[in-house]
Parts: sequence; structure tokens; C-alpha cells
Amino acid sequence: MPAAPSITYIDAIRDAQRDLLAEHPEVFVYGQDVGKFGGAFKATQGLQEAFPSQVYDSPISEDAMIGLAIGAAIEGMHPIVEMQFADFSSVAFNQIVNQAATHYYRTGVPIPLTVRMPCGGTPGSGPFHSQMVESIYSHYPGLVVVTPATVADAYCLLKEAVLAKDPVIYCEHKFLYRWLKAENYRGDDLPIGKARITRPGKHATVVTYSAMVHEAVRAADRLSEEGWEIEVVDLRTVKPLDTDTVMASVARTGRLLALGEAFPWGGVTAEVVARVVQDGFHLLDAPPQRLNSRDTPVPYHPNLWAAHRPTPESICDKLRQLLTL
Amino acid sequence: MPENSEHVRLVYRQMVMSRVMEMKLSSLYKAGKIVGGVYLGKGQEAISASLGSCLQRGQDVFAPLIRDQAGRIAFGESLLDTTRTYLGSALGPMRGRDGNIHRGRPLEGNPAMISHLGTSLSVVTGMLFAKRMKGELAGKVGATCIGDGGTSTGAFHEGLNTAAVEKLPLVVLVANNQFAYSTPNDRQFACDNLLDKAIGYGVAGHYVEGSDFLASVETLCHAVEQARQGGGPQLVVADLLRLNGHGEHDDGAYVPDQIRHSKLGRDCLDVGREQLVSTQLATEEEIDRWWEEAREEVQQAVTTAQMEPKPDPYKEEWSALANQDYRNRPV
Amino acid sequence: MPEVPILMPQLGESIAEAKVVRLLVSQGDRVVSDQEVIEVETNKATMGVTTLCSGVISRVMAEEEVSYAVGTILGYLEVTEEEIIRTGVGDHLSRPKNSDESASDTSAASDSNVHFATDSEYVEPTAIEPHVQGLPVPAGNSAQYISPRLRARMNELGLQGADISAIAGSGAGGRVTIEDLEYFLEYISEWPSTKASPMRMAVADAMRRSWTRPLATVGLPVYIDRLLDYRKQQMPKPSLTLYVLKAFTTALQENPESAGFLIGDKIVHPRAYDIGVAVQVDDGVLVPVIRNVNEKSIADLLDEYVALVDKARTRRVTSDLTQGGIATVTNFGTFGLKWGTPIPLPNETLILGMGAGTKQLIWSEEVESFLPVTEMDLVLTFDHRVVDGGGAGMLLNRVAELLQRPQDL
Repeated sequence: MPAAPSITYIDAIRDAQRDLLAEHPEVFVYGQDVGKFGGAFKATQGLQEAFPSQVYDSPISEDAMIGLAIGAAIEGMHPIVEMQFADFSSVAFNQIVNQAATHYYRTGVPIPLTVRMPCGGTPGSGPFHSQMVESIYSHYPGLVVVTPATVADAYCLLKEAVLAKDPVIYCEHKFLYRWLKAENYRGDDLPIGKARITRPGKHATVVTYSAMVHEAVRAADRLSEEGWEIEVVDLRTVKPLDTDTVMASVARTGRLLALGEAFPWGGVTAEVVARVVQDGFHLLDAPPQRLNSRDTPVPYHPNLWAAHRPTPESICDKLRQLLTL
Repeated sequence: MPENSEHVRLVYRQMVMSRVMEMKLSSLYKAGKIVGGVYLGKGQEAISASLGSCLQRGQDVFAPLIRDQAGRIAFGESLLDTTRTYLGSALGPMRGRDGNIHRGRPLEGNPAMISHLGTSLSVVTGMLFAKRMKGELAGKVGATCIGDGGTSTGAFHEGLNTAAVEKLPLVVLVANNQFAYSTPNDRQFACDNLLDKAIGYGVAGHYVEGSDFLASVETLCHAVEQARQGGGPQLVVADLLRLNGHGEHDDGAYVPDQIRHSKLGRDCLDVGREQLVSTQLATEEEIDRWWEEAREEVQQAVTTAQMEPKPDPYKEEWSALANQDYRNRPV
Repeated sequence: MPEVPILMPQLGESIAEAKVVRLLVSQGDRVVSDQEVIEVETNKATMGVTTLCSGVISRVMAEEEVSYAVGTILGYLEVTEEEIIRTGVGDHLSRPKNSDESASDTSAASDSNVHFATDSEYVEPTAIEPHVQGLPVPAGNSAQYISPRLRARMNELGLQGADISAIAGSGAGGRVTIEDLEYFLEYISEWPSTKASPMRMAVADAMRRSWTRPLATVGLPVYIDRLLDYRKQQMPKPSLTLYVLKAFTTALQENPESAGFLIGDKIVHPRAYDIGVAVQVDDGVLVPVIRNVNEKSIADLLDEYVALVDKARTRRVTSDLTQGGIATVTNFGTFGLKWGTPIPLPNETLILGMGAGTKQLIWSEEVESFLPVTEMDLVLTFDHRVVDGGGAGMLLNRVAELLQRPQDL
């Protein structure tokens, strides 16, 4: 009998960092409380003890944290900066989009920086500890944005991100930290930039990423009881976006729902729809649909929070509507 | 003659070179040859060149700001890098992708500035941080420049604080030139002296009158040396006056005559000439010859850059990513 | 000597033009490199336009108190070849095509502008004139292209592509636009109209679908005296249509591919010889199908045929009785029509039509005299993708041949 899955998503993030630190002296971890304390979410627990010269606490200075990491990257280091919450990266926005993202294009010198962004909501987190940031960073040239949804992806995408030459925004979903478990990190080892068909289907495609992959699978399970076979595509990387896999799926199903947890204006879901409509208008049997969070700050109370983001119920409703169009 | 006489003479020649280059850039701008803008450091040459001349290219780090043509020259930037970037030559370090003062060679310890003030403090701190991690920091320093206006930014605060926490050899030169574009100091900060900030950050502070050539050389060299010897971050505040507009599109008409004619408004090149001659470090004839040589060298750099190919939008590789696998994917 | 233009510089990031305040030089003046020659004023500052190299002012086009766009040529400098090499201003030498002296002439500036395609006469448009000329249109017959928007409006109105065939499109490539449709609908709203019956709609739908194929019709006159004579001897007398139906079936059985369907690159052959008979009913046509005609004799078919036709005429034919045919026979001769071009059902590729029999006199070599004969035209409509004119002709000839020996049918 196989052992019960015991490795969590946050274990994967911690272990990926541990392996990187051990194998690559140019890798270091920098962030608030990441040292002896092990990080607000314990994503760096034990790392400073094991690698005292590669793990540093930073002041509460998001701008300077990224600035320092950029400087170190110019010198050939591969810094991992932990934002305590992705929401706080707005303070570092300037250094990320204007300094890190433009650097290679302007000077020809790459910035192999990884910013770990604990993002997404958990009940009670409220407006400033729940935001999704993948859409806003994807807008900027020069950044790679990854959004792992599985334990294996959390591990392999972080390893690739840190060793990659470009600045990578690594969006780790807080809801998955301890809820998501696996037996090991072994997966298909798909690289950054490749999407995965999480669940095959033939009646409609849900293109999503991060925690919403799991909500989409739940919705698909429910609709299978009604006879619908829903295909779920996990983007894994929202930039570069694997348009080929999305298009191939839509070609099979003829119907598209782009699903995301970010705010509804623009963003990844809009980008997915735009690409499918532009290149695959002839593939569609129905107008493509989008489902995002509501257009308000993320509310505090669990009742409101649960209704703010897409849920299996709202995804099912949207899919039923899509299937009758 | 003082023992550092050769260094002093060198700094002044770099100031002359910078002034000639900047006047040429201004002229090219007013002849419709340069687009975007031209931002000059007239009046700030003494402090800027003094700082740059104390640093070693390839070893130390120097992140100049917009009024540091003199410091750039002193740090060993070629005149061609300047003219190629301003004139948009495809052969310049920025290849037409960025212009004017936004140039640099990061791998030679010379980061290319972005427009957002204060951001270079943490970048230089990071470069020093990495050198320390690699065990290469001993005897090296990093320096960056900012103005009075830039000290009001969050990035300045975060950067200086971080450098102080890490006790890294960062020299921050504040050119207090009285105006941030058109905004005077009394609308910019409320402390009596910007130097007071050093206390708050727990870093060493130095003050100099920026128009005083010899004092500038001495103060900056001292500050750099302190950092090099392990004295942690050094904040150098230089009072002076910007002797040109914010950019060459601006005539600086808002600067009151009273300030222009005060001691602040002296031209460090005039002061320096006087000091060199009176201390017999150089003769009038020598200095005149330096100006003449500078004009020829600058003209040569302008002529070369003008004749060079401009960037070709059809040959431009329109990708901002370094990793080939990612470049090949549709955006 | 070469001339180098003196340009209005870009004196600020948002500056589009500047006013000449004072000319500091005039024609013939000798100037040095970097000399201020024209004083200009922007809303930000007053400054001097400088020269790129030394030379002699050969022309001054700018006038005081006049504003010029950034990049406008304000004058020219005559320069020696040596000076050009020294300063590298060579790329400024391209002379504008139209270096008119007129101050308001900006075409010179836009031709020779180093940095921008400036045009000071450009005025912000108050309204955009939409146009479709020159836009790419879908390949093929673009008049048939229906945009998603038009398609949505047509769906809303329950319209099919054929319903808008009367509209001459005004869009790209003759495409019908939504405005064309609305105009047309308004136009026909004043005409008398009646509600189409469900039967009419069913026929319309079938014909519309069928008409998507390249259909062609051929005809062959047949003498039917022998057939008529033979038929007279039968009791009860079978319908003439039944003989044609049977002969047609035999001919098809000999060459089943001619009733085939082209699907992609496959010709799908009939599985059974189920042949329909067109029956005119009130406001439509019904086509009951007789199963396995090839396995039945005329005598066997007689009762089935009469019953089916009766059911159809009384509108009691159920849908299972009208499904699955591979070809149809229609006797429009009963309406006195001699010739027609019938359209096969959308699920069939062939329809055989029977014209009205007529008496003709034909010359007989045998008896050297005119003899009376009864002649009927048989017509066959076929899908030209599957069958050609020759194949259709052979099929008709075979039917005619079989009809000459009705006793064998």
C-alpha cells in the first residue's frame, strides 16, 4: 500500500531552495524574517542554519531588497528574494519593473533574480494579504511569471526559475502551502513556458493556473456527473504563455473558459481569451468566457472572501452557461 | 607642491573634458541633432570628478546620476560611450535602446541608471553585498550620486538604511544644488542640513563646498578611503548651485539672481583654475592647452558617433529576455 | 560647396514647435561651430539654435515672430568638404525635395526631418471616416461571407444565408453589411406578406441545404408507346411512375457509385435501394420512400406504392416513411410540364424527373412514312462532384432502354 501523501507545497518550495543553496554557491535567500525565524510561512525554515552565508534577513525595505538583489545579480549571483506577502511587492514594483525587467534589454547584462511571491487569499487574510500579482507583472517586458499549482511544479519551477538568466516572478499560492500534498516531487518536469493538460475532456476547456486549477478540477468532477467532460489546462507559467497547448485544447473542445483568481480587469484571463479569439476564432463554437475574482479589494470575512474568488459552484455555473451557448 | 599633485591635475583635466563635452552636447541638442534631452552637470564637475577619480574601474562600483559626466570620465568611461549614446549610434553600449545619461557598463562596475531617483543606492549595495559573499570585497568600494531632491525618495531611505545595516563600503554623494528641477530646498526637506541625515542612518558624514575644487578632491578622496578601510557607508553632502537648467530645454529662469551671485553660484572650474595656478600645480598656458586638447578629443568622439550606423528596427531583436528558450516562445 | 541645414531643435520632451524670436545672423555671415544663430522661444524657455559646424550662412528661411515645427529647416550653411569630414555632419546633406523659401511650407521639413515625420499642418481629426476599401476580405466569394455580427442578427431574426440573397452588399468585396440588412428589412416591411406554413419551411430548409452543392441537370426523350401498351394489359394498371422507378433502380444497381455521396475524399455508396417518390401536397412536397425496390417486382410494389402515395396526399405519412432514400423519382408531367430541373433532397444526390408524354410524328425509314409516337422527357439532376454529364447520360440511356422492355422489369 502506498504511503499517504505527506509532502506539502511549502515543503517543495523549502526543499527546492535547500537543494539550490547546496548545489549553487551563487544562490542566496534574502527577505524579511527568512533567517533564523524561517520566514513568515516557514518557507525558509532551517535554511540559515544549514547555509549561514547564503541566507539573510532584510530590513522592511521591499524597494531596497529588490535593488540589492539586482546589484548582486549584476555581480553574477542568483538571489531569491522572499516578499513576505505578494501584496507588499507593490513597494518594490519600481525596482522590479523598471530596473530588473529592463536591465537585460538595455545593457545586455541579465538579471537572474527570483522573487518569491506568497500570493492569493486564505480566509480572513483581508485586502493586503491576499492579492494575486501575476497579471500586473506579466504586463512588463523582461519578466517571466510562473504560477505553480502542484507540489512537483512548486519544486521544479522554483529550481528552474532560480537558475534561469531572467528575472522570474514566482507566484506561490498561500492556500496551497499546507493543504496540497503529494508523495514526492517526481513529475513530468515540464519546463517554464509549457502548460499541462491536468484533466482531459471534450466539451469545454478551462484554462487556469495556480490554486484555481484545483477549483476547476472540482467543478469538472461535478459536471462529469451531468455527462459533461471538461478539459482543464494548467498554464503553470503565465508568461511566456503556452498558447499552443491552449489552442490545441480549444480545437478539441470548441469552448473556452479562462479562469483566474486575480481581479477581473485585463490580466491573464483576458490575455488567454484575446489570443484564442485572435488565432482561433474559427475553432470556437461559443463566445469564450472569463471568470475572475470580483472587482473589489479582497474582503476580510470568510463568507465574503469565499464569494469574492471563483468557487467550484461559480465555475460550474459559468461552464453550464458556456455549454449552452 | 602637495604629494597628490598629479592626481589633482588629473581631476581638473577630467573636469575640463567634461565641461567641453557637455557644452558640445548642449550645442548638438540646440542644433536639433540630439533628441530626448540633454542633462548637464555644469557646476558639479569638481565633486563628481573627485569621486570618480578615486575609484578603480573593474574593481570598484560607480553608479552615477544625471549630472555626473565628469565622474563618468574620471571613472574611465570613454568619450565615445557618451557621444554614441546621445547620438543613438548602434555601436554604443546602449545600442539605441536607451539614451543620454541612461548608459553604463554594469560588468565593469558601472551600472546604467534608471530615471527613478534613489534606486541606485540599493543596487550598488547589492553589488558590494555580492562581492562580500564571493570573498572579493576587501579594499573595494561602491559609490553613487544623488541630488537634494533624490534624498526625499523612499528608495534613498531604504537603500542607505540597508547599506548601513550591512555596513557595506557605500559612498553616497549628495549634490545639494539647491533645486530639484524647479523646486527649491525649502519645499524638499525640513532638516537644517542634509548632513544631519547621516546621524539618523548611523553612517559617517562629510561636508564640502562643491565649488571649491581642492576641498572637493580632498573630501571625496577621504570619504572613499574611509569606506575602503572598512568605515561603512559614507554620506557626503556638497553644497553648490546647478549652473544650467534641469535639462537643456530649461533655462533655469526660476533661480534667483541672489543665489546665482552668491558663493554657492561660483563655477568650480574657475575656482579650480585659480587654485591650480596659485598653488603652482599648473600654469595658465597648461590649462589653456587642456581645454584645446579636450575640444579636439570631444569633436573626434562626436564626429565618429555621427558617422556610425543608427539602430535598425528591422534587425532589432525584439525580446527583453536573456534565456533563449523563453525568447523563442511567443510572448 | 555642400550645404548643411539649420534645424529647429526639439527643445523639450513635449515641444512640437517653437517661435523664432530673433535672427542673430544674416545671409553671407561667417559662423563658427556651436555658434548660436537663431534665438527661439518655447513655453518653457528661451534659447539659441546652434550650428553643427563652421561655414557661411547661405540661406535664411526663418522669419522672426513665426513659429516652426521641430525639425523644420530654418536656413542653410555653406560648408567646406574638410569641415564636413572633421565634424561628421555628412548625414545632414540630403537636400529636401522641396526646399521652398516659404516660411509656412512644412513639406520641406517633413522630407528632411532627421528625427520625426513632422507635419505642422496636421490637424487633429474631428471624426474618423470609416472605410473598407482595400481591407483584406476572406478568400473565395466574399459576398457570401457573413460576419459574426451579421450572423448573430440573422440568428435573432431566424434568417438563413439564402434569405439575404436579394441584398446587394455594400461592404468589402460586395459583402452584405448589417446596415444593408436593416435597410432591406425596412424596405420589405411595407410589402404584402403571409406567414409561411411549417410544410413550406420544411421544403425551404431542404432545398436550401441541397443547393449548397453543384447540381446539374440533363434530359433524354424516351418513346413510351411500348410501355403504355404493356401497361394497358395489366390489371390493375400500375402507375407509369412505378415503371420508371423500377427501371431507375435497376440502372442504379448496375452503377451504385452514381448515387454516391462525396464526404471529404470518400464516395459513400448506397446501402439499400430505397427510392423516394415525390408527391405534391397542399403547400409542399412529400417524398415517401419505398424500401428495397431492387428486390421487388412491379406487381409486388403496386399496393405499397398506392398506399404510400395515398398516405402522403392525406398528410398521414410519418417521418420514418420519408427517411433514408438514396434517390427520388418525380413525375411533374402530371402537371402538364414537359421539362424541369428538379432538385434532389439534401440527403440524396439524384432525382429523376418525368415530363408529360406528347404525341409526335417521326419519320420511319422502315415504312417510309411519318408515324405517331408518344415521347416523354426524362431528366436527371445530379451532384456534379460525384457524377459527370456523361455518366448521367449513360444512366438515363439505361433507364430508357429498360423502359423499352417493361415486361422484364
